[in-house]
Amino acid sequence: MNIEERIREIMVKLLNVKPGEITPHANLENDLGMDSTEIVEMTVALEKAFGIQIDDGEITKNQSIGDVVELVHHRVK
Amino acid sequence: MKRVAVTGVGVVAPCGIGKEVFWNNIKQGKSFVSPINRFDASRYPSRIAGQIKDLNSYSNFSPRLLRKIDDFSHMSLIAADLALKDANLDLSKEDPLRVGIFMGNALGGWLYAETELRDLYIEGRDGVSPYLASAWFPAAPQGQISIYYGIKGYSKTVVADRASSLMAIDYATNIIKKGKVDIALAGGTEAPITPYALLCCSTYGSLSTRNEHPQCAYRPFDKSRDGFVIGEGAGILILEDIEHARKRGAYIYALITGLGVTSDGFDRIEPDPNGTGLIRAIRLALSEAGYPPCDIDYICADGAATRWGDVSETKAIKKVFSECSQIPPVSAPKSMFGNLLGASGSVDLIITLLAMENALIPPTINLRVSDPECDLDYVPHKSRSKEVKRALVISRGRGGINAVLAVERVDRG
Repeated sequence: MNIEERIREIMVKLLNVKPGEITPHANLENDLGMDSTEIVEMTVALEKAFGIQIDDGEITKNQSIGDVVELVHHRVK
Repeated sequence: MKRVAVTGVGVVAPCGIGKEVFWNNIKQGKSFVSPINRFDASRYPSRIAGQIKDLNSYSNFSPRLLRKIDDFSHMSLIAADLALKDANLDLSKEDPLRVGIFMGNALGGWLYAETELRDLYIEGRDGVSPYLASAWFPAAPQGQISIYYGIKGYSKTVVADRASSLMAIDYATNIIKKGKVDIALAGGTEAPITPYALLCCSTYGSLSTRNEHPQCAYRPFDKSRDGFVIGEGAGILILEDIEHARKRGAYIYALITGLGVTSDGFDRIEPDPNGTGLIRAIRLALSEAGYPPCDIDYICADGAATRWGDVSETKAIKKVFSECSQIPPVSAPKSMFGNLLGASGSVDLIITLLAMENALIPPTINLRVSDPECDLDYVPHKSRSKEVKRALVISRGRGGINAVLAVERVDRG
């Protein structure tokens, strides 16, 4: 399973949405309806899944799934 | 001063969700108390409760939301939805700044809190859910309802033990009277059937330990009573400025005509045995309502089923109504489904409004041999047909809190 697929899996479980809704262009707030606490939950889940560190404020509500994938890609390297 | 009408009711209780099912069960005088089976309660002195068994089947709320909130918020969301539908009120068409929410509870959302704390301290988990902070605290139901419906007007949560919801209704009534909002969702919610919450309730020393016979355990005013039984649920009413209600052609159950609130200043658990504080509260409610005691047709009692709770409530009623040729019937319908603590007053008010609507007083069950000091007409065992135009609801909390609400049916031509 690649990074995109794992992130999709995490987001589907976290937000109770269909896999098709987790697209690269999906905005975290406007398209997925995420609030600040869900951003915290997602950040913790990504840190655990990929063994990386993400600082507070690195992921914000106005980012897209594509931005998150890019951040994780960068951090895993 | 504006007048305040009740235009909708929403009830989530062990004997039914929604007023039709709830009332059909209430009027039959059956018990809905059963052994606690959702966790191991074998070490608790009181192991019985009024439990809601099918909450999720009535809920339209998303699993994504339900993951973030405690049951006490969930029940309040369902009650709010039922009350708004009953009032035929679409809040999206109202000015959100003119709508408020006033909720009472006694304990907060402990299932969420204690599950997280157990995992943290006993299971050794690294941290707690980020929703813990917003799930457990007493104002969570108020917040969740306001978010769900976009309510933006004057709102408040009241914590006053078992009198919480009646006092929340009082608060809402006063805010409408002052013209600060046109509409208020007012009531209470409580989810006490969790390991920690039950422990807290057990330390009252006021719960029945008649565990072998759950259905006949809660016996208000009976000689052999040994305390009340807890229950879970929520009751929310739609209160409106009567002019606002009339303009939209709303059905009006009744008017809130008076409320009296006093403190005993006597003991941390027990009420003043002479009912002195309750006497004043009843008189204050009647005085605000502007009618004499003899005009009251029915009293929905607190019915604590403790010695001093029952005796002091009886003494207070007898004292205030001593001038009347006949003391009105008094009943404690909560004997059927448990004491919903912070939600008890609002559910009792809903029962009283349905009693008015149906001209039928629901009974006090399990009253076989009255305590010699409790000699009122408690409507034992069976519902009784009676026109109810004016009624009182009594709600009392630990530490000597007394709240009494007066309601009056609106005659329909």
